[in-house]
Amino acid sequence: MRVVKEPGAAHSGLSDWYWQRLSAVVLALLLPLPFFLLVAVYGGAVDQQGLLDILDHVVSRLLHTILILALIIHAYMGLKVILEDYVHTIAWRIPLIGAMLVMMATFGIWWLAMIWAWI
Amino acid sequence: MQNRLKEPSGPLSPRLTIYRWHVGMLASIGHRASGLALILFVPIYLWLLRGMTGSEDNFAAVFNWLHSGLGKVSIWLVGISLIYHFCNGIRFIAIDAGWGESRESMRRSARVVFVFTVLVAVLLAVML
Repeated sequence: MRVVKEPGAAHSGLSDWYWQRLSAVVLALLLPLPFFLLVAVYGGAVDQQGLLDILDHVVSRLLHTILILALIIHAYMGLKVILEDYVHTIAWRIPLIGAMLVMMATFGIWWLAMIWAWI
Repeated sequence: MQNRLKEPSGPLSPRLTIYRWHVGMLASIGHRASGLALILFVPIYLWLLRGMTGSEDNFAAVFNWLHSGLGKVSIWLVGISLIYHFCNGIRFIAIDAGWGESRESMRRSARVVFVFTVLVAVLLAVML
């Protein structure tokens, strides 16, 4: 790989690019699953007991956990790029990115708690 | 002026205000819009998941909400956002891998993704 002589303040441009694509591949495999499950519940193909049997299985708990982590990584990077492109005032941009990170962490913890039945 | 990166009169984004509109750019904007829609659906999904894994009454309430007008529109919107973001994401990764990188094939693949999304949107609207 060619080394860039002046990579700027970020020191490396590869990390974000790489993580965004790695999480994209994980999401492409996993994200359709909850949507199918939602449609199955909507259509009546899966009742509540069936849904609980699926969600409580250790494999789906693990897959769900990987999904949540990949989703947070991917959503954070995607939304960060959008904010950096459209919010030009630094005094707004940095708090917005921070607030976004806090909200994503909160929802992520809530989601994990639901999947592993802490609450 | 130190806390601003650009002049206040500057463009919001070259893509929105300066460049001529074409299909590849629309695909890129669409990727952002659908990604944002998917993020906004996450809290709704968590609320649904909480209801569906709760008591029988909670499950029935979620089931009824899904079958209401708002529920159907939500499923439809998140469905087309997901299918668009999915297909265009694969397109982006293919382009990153150096596959279909020419201007003509990028425009052609963008059109394919759009047509496929519209087909799925119609199909989903009929099914729901």
